[in-house]
Amino acid sequence: MYDNYMKKSFYNHLVTIDSLTIELDKIEMSQDEKRHLILLIDSNIHQTVLNVVLSELQGNDKKIFLHHLSSGDHDKAWIHLKGKIENVENKIKKAADEIIKELHEDIKKIKS
Amino acid sequence: MATKQKSNYKYLRDKWIGKHKELQKNLWDKHKDIVDWVSDNSKQLALGSVSGLMLLTPTVTKTIPNQAIFASQQEFAKVIDKSVFLISDLFHVLPSKVRELTPSEEDVITQTLTRHFGFRVTPELQGIRLNRSYGYIGAEQHLTRYSGDTMSTHFDNQTDAQKFFSSGMAPGLGAWGYFSSNGQLTEKDILREKYYIAVQTFLAPGFNEHVKEYVDFFKYKKMLVVNPNNGRVVVAIIGDAGPADWTGKHLGGSPEVMSYLERFDGAQKGPVLYFFIDDPEDKIPLGPINVR
Repeated sequence: MYDNYMKKSFYNHLVTIDSLTIELDKIEMSQDEKRHLILLIDSNIHQTVLNVVLSELQGNDKKIFLHHLSSGDHDKAWIHLKGKIENVENKIKKAADEIIKELHEDIKKIKS
Repeated sequence: MATKQKSNYKYLRDKWIGKHKELQKNLWDKHKDIVDWVSDNSKQLALGSVSGLMLLTPTVTKTIPNQAIFASQQEFAKVIDKSVFLISDLFHVLPSKVRELTPSEEDVITQTLTRHFGFRVTPELQGIRLNRSYGYIGAEQHLTRYSGDTMSTHFDNQTDAQKFFSSGMAPGLGAWGYFSSNGQLTEKDILREKYYIAVQTFLAPGFNEHVKEYVDFFKYKKMLVVNPNNGRVVVAIIGDAGPADWTGKHLGGSPEVMSYLERFDGAQKGPVLYFFIDDPEDKIPLGPINVR
């Protein structure tokens, strides 16, 4: 149900936050509070993925990528990345997994 | 333990906002060249998606976003997209502390707002200016629009009534009396009361020497009111004088203005920019406005 609150992004097919939303469901808080936290999860992942991608792209390729993103054309953005970054899927997944792991750690702390 | 004392939500919210700020700072530091490029080319870049624009400005807030924002992914993107460059531009100019702006700061903001909205915005019009153009906004009440206007007659739909009834009606009239003339309430009168602000006309430089001229000038003058933290902007009119200097607030907003700007009174009060709109032909409509 929380997928509706996530923004469409070029990496949606690689990154899932289901494990986090399941954990959030176990914690006592309102639906609005959960939605807010999911937006924060989404924002944190987005910053992480952008950092990875921009670190791998060179000069004009960064501009082309951002042009596609700002146009809302995530498919073109993804095709561009696939053509310019080797193993881009693995790099995005690795970075996203790390931030998701950190977020899980934060959730664990309130349960302990 | 401090962690235990916080609610689960607050703990995670603060933790993840902090994480987000850190990630964003790293991103800005590491990719300054491309961030500057995006900022310089904001006009050329289409504003169809929030994703790329998150490079430039925080999109996380400490408060739970309005329910309407959750209505759909598109809605969320739309709200953020249109204001993201404005927030970013203002962020770089505004002082960290709320104070009167310097002339050079006002110049930059004048240019920024004029560029973003496509009409002339200025802190000074016809040689007259207010005591300041950046300050804390407080909540005002509804104003009586015509003789006999009460809280029971004030709203033309149930949604507004439910949302804004609790603000109540000011016991006296606004600085210029009833909004309607000859007892005929027009659409323009309704909008003027709905989107009014109260400003400290009496503190304007030169006011005491030119009272009548200034009072006539300020009456229903259009102003652009900007919440620099969320990019929400309203075209309002000056509908009342106030608040008193001792309140620590610099202007007041009608319940509708405050609601749209997401500004609150009291301990949570926040600042807004308020600049005159040069609209001699009265073409710019009152109410919320988006960056063009």
